[in-house]
Amino acid sequence: MDLLLSPQLLFSALVLGSLYALIGVGLNFVYGTIRLLNIAHGDLVMIGAYAAFGLFTALGLSPMFGLPLIAGITAMIGAGLYFGLFKRQLENTTSVEQLEANSLLLFFGVSVILQNTMALLFTTSPRAYQHLDYVISIGGLDMTLSRLLALVVSLTIVFAISMFLKFSIYGLGISAIIQNRDAAKIVGIDVGRVQLGSFILGFGVAGIAGALVSLTEQISPFMGFPFTIAAFVVIILGGLGNISGGIIAGILLGFIEIYSVALTSATYRSILIYGVFVAAIMLRPQGLFGKAQT
Amino acid sequence: MTVLRSDLAFFAGLAILAGFGLSVGSLFGTYWVIVALNFAMWIALTQSWALFSGLTGYISLGNVVFYGLGAYTVAVSFKVLPLWVAVPMGGLVAAVFALMIAVPALRVRGPYFVILTFGISELVKYSILNLETYLGKSSRLLFGAPSAEAVLYTMIALAVASSVLMRLVKSSTFGRGLVAIQGDETSAETVGIPVTRFKVMGFTLSAFIPGMVGGLMALRSTYFEVLQVFNPFISFTIVTMAIIGGSNDARGPILGAAFLVFLSELLWSSAPRLYMILLGAFLIAFVLLAPSGLVGLLRKYGEGHSK
Repeated sequence: MDLLLSPQLLFSALVLGSLYALIGVGLNFVYGTIRLLNIAHGDLVMIGAYAAFGLFTALGLSPMFGLPLIAGITAMIGAGLYFGLFKRQLENTTSVEQLEANSLLLFFGVSVILQNTMALLFTTSPRAYQHLDYVISIGGLDMTLSRLLALVVSLTIVFAISMFLKFSIYGLGISAIIQNRDAAKIVGIDVGRVQLGSFILGFGVAGIAGALVSLTEQISPFMGFPFTIAAFVVIILGGLGNISGGIIAGILLGFIEIYSVALTSATYRSILIYGVFVAAIMLRPQGLFGKAQT
Repeated sequence: MTVLRSDLAFFAGLAILAGFGLSVGSLFGTYWVIVALNFAMWIALTQSWALFSGLTGYISLGNVVFYGLGAYTVAVSFKVLPLWVAVPMGGLVAAVFALMIAVPALRVRGPYFVILTFGISELVKYSILNLETYLGKSSRLLFGAPSAEAVLYTMIALAVASSVLMRLVKSSTFGRGLVAIQGDETSAETVGIPVTRFKVMGFTLSAFIPGMVGGLMALRSTYFEVLQVFNPFISFTIVTMAIIGGSNDARGPILGAAFLVFLSELLWSSAPRLYMILLGAFLIAFVLLAPSGLVGLLRKYGEGHSK
């Protein structure tokens, strides 16, 4: 019981959960809104983590100040992929299923290329750096500043994004496209521009998430895949395109992971994550908060 | 008549390829036995994938689970069951597993099916990993397994069987039903195709040969290690080969397997990262520029000539 009530555990679960929520939000832009099955999403998180690591070790720039730059790097990769691979696919493919299947294969190719290029450039050995690791104690809770910052920054960004989507004209454009793409076109929404925007935002957010992840754990070229899986769990449980649902699902996943490892043993972690994943798709493909057949 | 002639050409080509594979050891030596074994293995795996995923459009990203279950069956029953029972049993275990997951899994379509099959294969991988740790077996050694030649001959038989199966299924009522499912499930149902039964049958059928292939490969490597036989990279390679070759024609998987086995012979030992990068680049190029794969290019070329 003591274990369950430990503030340390609660804090770890919140940090991990907020990172999952942030990663899920990024995927929601690309998969939730334009139905491109981005299984390279976790690899963009990896690129963001390496960018943060590089900026810190080479230039001494704190990832906190480097965030805009890091987001810019991954956003540019997103824009490049949009123009290079997906623009024509999006314009010419009429069936959604064909588009999803093709995007899966294309992103799989991208994922393999990104992982192996990074492994070629920076070797496969895991890396880490020490930054902002002062311990702050409040009550019985010891936390490093870096993890606290990861928590605060990711929650702030997720919140800002959900406000942006609710109230800005761009966000309304996205909602319109999710509801009915053809009708959105007719009322004058520039579908191409909104899609490009989704790529830039989704990939940029993935980069920021990667920078925050690099503050809390070791990084390696093959670290991305578990994050891709986590992101899919988050957006499926939270509901496609549903940002606030995704926040709850992300935190939930963080809690499941941290508490189950604490209660049982670390070896069951993967079984649990994939178990939740499989159960989510088989039992609640419409999400925890969605209605059946929407 | 033309159908018959092209069938004849296909089976003759297959027989020549198989005959060449059988004699490769005596012609060129042991190294080529391993290459031929690899080639035959990938044909059998990709052909089985195409039988279900290529025809129905339900892309499975978890076919390694069948391979792994077959390997696990053979490893567990090693020295308990004779091999001629154990290997087919591996296929049977894989097929029964496919049958069990088919009904819930095939209810979901499109991308959910893709990531679901991947999730299931990882779930099985980690479950067996924990089971083995619990049993105190981190890896199992298979001493006294048959020679590489014996494995190669059986593997060639599986590659031929899977190719013939794909060819026969494709031109059967069953196969046309599967293709119709890819078009539109509701209309397929309306014209009297038993959609659910066909999907379950196709999925189960596509698991059997990979199970046997996994069993054989466990014998070949003489040890069994969970993370290795359930490596998702195997599933990814299968899909890549099918896309590069073309997945709705029995010639496609053979061409795709030939292409990537050749590429990996060239690069895998000297530059594995570069090999992977090229694999990704080829996958992207084929999806964008030649969506029906090498077979599609071949067909287009043939049409150009006959005009």
